[in-house]
Amino acid sequence: MPRSCLGDRVDSLDLAGVGIWSERFASWDQFSAIVRGESVDMTSQPQAKLIPPRDRRRASMFVRMAIEVMDHACRMGRVDPSSVATVFGSSLGDVEITDYMCSALAREPLSMSPTRFHNSVHNACSGYWSIATGAHWPANAVSAYDHSPAVALLEGAVLAIEERIPVLVAFQEARATHTFESIFPARNPLSIAMLLMQTSVCERPLGTLTLALEHDSKSKGLPVTPRLPEFAGTFTASMLDMLIAAAEGSDYSERFPISHSSTLAAQFSPSHLVCSRHRELPT
Amino acid sequence: MNPLEIGAYTCTSAAGIGLAAMKRSIAARESGLRPNDLAVCGLDTWIGRVDGIEKVEIPANASHLLSRNNQLAWLGLQQDGMLDSIERLKRTVSVERIGVIMGTSTSSIGRTEEAFANLLDDEQMAPEFRQPHVHTLHSPGIFVAAVTGLAGPSMTISTACSSSAKVFASASRWIGQGLVDAVLVGGVDSLCLSTLYGFNSLELISANPCRPFDRRRDGINVGEACGYCIVARRGTLPDARMLLLGYGESSDAHHMAHPHPDGLGALLAIDRALERAQLSASDIDYVNLHGTATPANDSIENRVLARRFDSRTKASSTKGWTGHTLGAAGILESIVTLEAMRTGDMPGTLNLEEPDPDAEFPIEQANLAMDIRHAITNSFGFGGNNATLVLGRSRG
Repeated sequence: MPRSCLGDRVDSLDLAGVGIWSERFASWDQFSAIVRGESVDMTSQPQAKLIPPRDRRRASMFVRMAIEVMDHACRMGRVDPSSVATVFGSSLGDVEITDYMCSALAREPLSMSPTRFHNSVHNACSGYWSIATGAHWPANAVSAYDHSPAVALLEGAVLAIEERIPVLVAFQEARATHTFESIFPARNPLSIAMLLMQTSVCERPLGTLTLALEHDSKSKGLPVTPRLPEFAGTFTASMLDMLIAAAEGSDYSERFPISHSSTLAAQFSPSHLVCSRHRELPT
Repeated sequence: MNPLEIGAYTCTSAAGIGLAAMKRSIAARESGLRPNDLAVCGLDTWIGRVDGIEKVEIPANASHLLSRNNQLAWLGLQQDGMLDSIERLKRTVSVERIGVIMGTSTSSIGRTEEAFANLLDDEQMAPEFRQPHVHTLHSPGIFVAAVTGLAGPSMTISTACSSSAKVFASASRWIGQGLVDAVLVGGVDSLCLSTLYGFNSLELISANPCRPFDRRRDGINVGEACGYCIVARRGTLPDARMLLLGYGESSDAHHMAHPHPDGLGALLAIDRALERAQLSASDIDYVNLHGTATPANDSIENRVLARRFDSRTKASSTKGWTGHTLGAAGILESIVTLEAMRTGDMPGTLNLEEPDPDAEFPIEQANLAMDIRHAITNSFGFGGNNATLVLGRSRG
């Protein structure tokens, strides 16, 4: 008989840490405050201090967004960032670099910047991450258009279970540039990282995540959160309701479409040992 | 790991459209490389171009997905009875239990380049280029799922030049976790200005036919290719003669565009792949090398070979036939290796005439007839992203 862990909901994973960044909130604490209805002062760009200064200057905003949330998730989960495998997911990737490259190629192709070219690979974020942290673990970079967050989460969960290592899943979308506006609805960039670990490894997880792949021919749209409507159109936002539940310490379940006839059923159960709002990032 | 069955496979590159044409090129030592003749690109280099892609008509249900990359994907899918093999698979495994995992470095960016060359006055895309499912990294996954009717999870991996080697690793995990019973894995990358001018900006392209491991090697020739392979849980494919025995993935953690000087990530990928296959280096008869013909890659990969293998293991790079097909290289070279194992005809290294005197490990120049029981294939990408696969033959 085939083993069917995810199908039978045998395996759960701990959500050991979360990182989140947008132009409205720079951290999990600020996100949690907004969920509670408080206002936050937020103007800063992602710092991405994990990247050494020389490399940081070369890194694009897209890379810095990812490194920022990945760093936050590891610090919340109290894991050594060099000990995690990574899965990165995005539909369009670094749209600013794509726009730059295609504009340069249309006008003056020999002017192409070599740094921007090597930064244009979809695995740029995982590359910068491994260089900054010294992580030699597998690093994947995937895309599934609007299903990118759910597929990256599934890929990360499978990797964590199969290889028995902590996996940092990061997904993000940038703001569409002017030329991409007609085809790409993202108006507000949003970056999220989720640190998945085998259960009972992490001392204080946010909660437990149980995933199951289901076959379902009914097509269903992406979940959208009515509480943060400005992110409608940003595919990453399909995960916001799960993070709101994690911030509030409440149960959550959702079915994310991942193909014409498959859905990822995700269930989050918060840890009751510790209230998430009191968690602080170790400095 | 539990080995995966490898069923039908096919590949298309400058060395030939379909397996038979490629095998003829390899046997005749005829390169598919040619001086750059792309009308839109004036660079002085050689390229691995597949003839006739522009004329390929993609199926009506996928007409909104038009791009050179998807035309190549469709051309490749029609070779070697691949579509029939997929239909046969659907009779034993339900379509929801068959996944699609494609690898690509640049997806349909050639179409995005065209859109930018034809912008309207307000710098918006002209209506014919407003194709949301094309200007995404997932374009090949969307296209292949649409034209095959496979309905399981579908994903596109894009980790530069290791992309379509990693499709095997993810497929193995999906099957191991019971998400699906079989996966159509594939890879496709097509010639575009982004990679030609990009590698030119890094001074990595050669004005000559590429010469892997040669003393005079001076860079890559960018090529285009696609390949597909059905992989499945043991016992699913009655005619499967080949197996995926192991895979190893690693990160260099060194530099975005230069390999680790000691080949640290490459060694980790090889060691993890061998460990997963429960084999030692001495069990490996043949290594299909990444062998891009850049000075750095080839000298580092050569040292890596010398640290793990003795000279009973034969090693070659086939990029002298195809060019460096980037995100398609992993699957193309896996299929080259599978064919060498099936037929006993091992390709040598085309254009290797004067071996590098600093080489610590001998690289095969000539094609050889040899029995290959176990083989590995290496794929290394920007960002220090590495993948190695271990392939074997099934008994009976």
